[in-house]
Amino acid sequence: MNLSYTEEQVMLREQIQKFCETEYDFYKREEVVKSDKDFDENAWSLFAEQGWLSMPFSEESGGFGFGPIELSILFEEFGKSLVIEPYLSNVVLAGSILDKSNFEGKVQLIEGICSGSSHLSLAYVEAAHSYEYLKPDTNVSEDNKLNGAKTLVLNGKNASKLIVSCVKNDEFSLVLIDTAAEGVSFNTFKTIDEKTCAEFSFENVSIEDKDIIASGDEAKNLLIETLNLATLCVSAEAVGCMISCYQKTVQYTKEREQFDQPISNFQVLQHRMVDMFIDSELAKSLLYKAMLEVDSDSEDKFKHVSALKAHVGKFGKLSAQNAIQLHGGMGVSEEMMIGHYLKKMVAIDAMFGNADFHLKAFSK
Amino acid sequence: MDINFSKEDLQFRDELREWLANDYPKHVKDKMDKGEHLTRQDMVDYHKALSAKGWMGYNWPVEYGGTGWSATQLYLFNKEFGMAGCPPLLAFGVSMVAPVIWTFGNEEQKKRFLPDILDFNTWWCQGYSEPGSGSDLASLKTKAVKEGDHYIVNGSKTWTTLAQNADWIFLLVRTESTGKKQEGISFLLVDMKTPGIEVKPIITIDGDHEVNSVFFTDVKVPVENLVGEEGKGWTYAKFLLAHERFGIAAVGASMRALNQLKEVVSELNNSDLDKKVAEMEIAISALEMTELRLLSDLENGGHPGAESSILKIKGTEIQQGLTELFVEAAGEYALMYPGAGGYGSNDKPSGPEHAAVSLERFLNFRKTSIYGGSNEIQKNIISKFVLGV
Repeated sequence: MNLSYTEEQVMLREQIQKFCETEYDFYKREEVVKSDKDFDENAWSLFAEQGWLSMPFSEESGGFGFGPIELSILFEEFGKSLVIEPYLSNVVLAGSILDKSNFEGKVQLIEGICSGSSHLSLAYVEAAHSYEYLKPDTNVSEDNKLNGAKTLVLNGKNASKLIVSCVKNDEFSLVLIDTAAEGVSFNTFKTIDEKTCAEFSFENVSIEDKDIIASGDEAKNLLIETLNLATLCVSAEAVGCMISCYQKTVQYTKEREQFDQPISNFQVLQHRMVDMFIDSELAKSLLYKAMLEVDSDSEDKFKHVSALKAHVGKFGKLSAQNAIQLHGGMGVSEEMMIGHYLKKMVAIDAMFGNADFHLKAFSK
Repeated sequence: MDINFSKEDLQFRDELREWLANDYPKHVKDKMDKGEHLTRQDMVDYHKALSAKGWMGYNWPVEYGGTGWSATQLYLFNKEFGMAGCPPLLAFGVSMVAPVIWTFGNEEQKKRFLPDILDFNTWWCQGYSEPGSGSDLASLKTKAVKEGDHYIVNGSKTWTTLAQNADWIFLLVRTESTGKKQEGISFLLVDMKTPGIEVKPIITIDGDHEVNSVFFTDVKVPVENLVGEEGKGWTYAKFLLAHERFGIAAVGASMRALNQLKEVVSELNNSDLDKKVAEMEIAISALEMTELRLLSDLENGGHPGAESSILKIKGTEIQQGLTELFVEAAGEYALMYPGAGGYGSNDKPSGPEHAAVSLERFLNFRKTSIYGGSNEIQKNIISKFVLGV
């Protein structure tokens, strides 16, 4: 047994940390958020240059073949800095599905993701089926027309292509469509964590056989595996947020003086910060467990990802709320970074099944 | 990263399981499985069985007759024995006073005391807390005054676990009342048969006699029973408390309790309770991985320090939380309390069998967040040494 990261993994973390510390400060992020842009194009190009956009893809698809441990490192660090760039939607959701599929045109599409030149999104959520991702109403008719609607499509506005879950010939299927195709329309929204998402509707969008990525059990497995990986990633992001929440709060209470002394002298605050620290350590432990289970492709991998997601769903929000409380009025000021962790935690809990959902999934 | 244990460690685990299947004394196992109390003789039999196997010195160096086990082996030992429902090993001799003796004691003391601890010929108890000194242990007042070749000890100790069974007690005493309070403390070894020692039971809320008050009136202790130097007792006391941490997470025992709880709850059809049990299972998994992370750090030459306070805090919260869920599972039958000794001491009542044991444990386990440095003290430690505030 050895639970240390390898030298390469430590270097990867340092590389991402260095970027986050020097190129990605909160005020720069705020400029992007307040502009009409959805993310920082320069940062996105840099992600591509560093090879981060190619990380998890197989070597045949032009990637580095990195696994869930490296992805977890990246997301943990992104969580600390509240990175808004559309990594999850492009690389983890759309990219992983393609990479693991037998779809013919996948290499070219993944190339587009790796170079940062094109955006792809996965449309898997429907309003009427909360967290029930395998029973879509969206369908492809016998004459090959796609009809239906998808919501909460992350980064949908910027995507040139969508992978859509649907029913075709009574089978669950994943099809690729062009967002510019006739019959596709969408609205866009901001998410609570300052990203963008879209609601798409499809009216008689023509589908050809070559657009079908997978169907039947193969399609189901692709989606389940991908969503499990994505759940691990956002949970790792939550762990990063929890670490930052306690560290920034400790720092703040040491500097903030009231009653002629730093407020960190007060035991009631000390114990609250210790609770935040402990919850982050336990979350980290569950992350280790989950990423190792996913890495070894074990039977229990879904169960342990659920355990992690249930824990960060509950304690992540608690941690962020405590951080706000200990920052006092500064905690609720938009210009301070600390309050934004709570928004991130709400977003993470909402995605891919919230704490209650995963608690039930865990006990099944 | 590799979460799997090595082949050697797995072989070691098999060896532990073999002992548990064949050599774990049957009469002790039967009582433990039924949640009945053990007698002094049961405890002696259990510890002597371990001595016979050579495992009594589980955390001792080979030099003194110990096993010389690695941190991983210790972890497995604790986990497997916990999962098998064994009684927790009495720490006072083997893992508390012994390391102090071999580290700070003289050759004569090592020869005199260590072999009997290994063979469990002497039952030790701990004379630390006093009526006026709990978490603020250094404020202790029990006095030892040197007269010729003896110390004369006067004062009292409290919460002394199983002092009624003990042959010897290790005592923190005040040999100097001026100066810094930590600097006037000395560490004495005292025969419980010495005249002037009186043990009085303290009955806890579960009705059990586990702890005691111990009174000392002009007790004559030979000066050769002083460990190390006079006035250095506080250093030894802190050293000892660091050794007490072993197994404090009690992951194995909590896993066993969880499995029993799941069996009980599976028949109740209570989705609220199911949810709480699932949360508990996740908490145990998080605790286990936290312990493994610390273990891996240790095996890689690291020195995890105050982080191990997490194990104390969470380990005891989980132990208590499990007993609370058992009480919830007892439902209306939580009303009937059998008293110490279980329903055997009563007319046989109706209601599920698990209810009786549950309530006793629920009350008894309140102690876990208080002893071994209360959980609030643990939080102070983390705050100071990890968060740096």
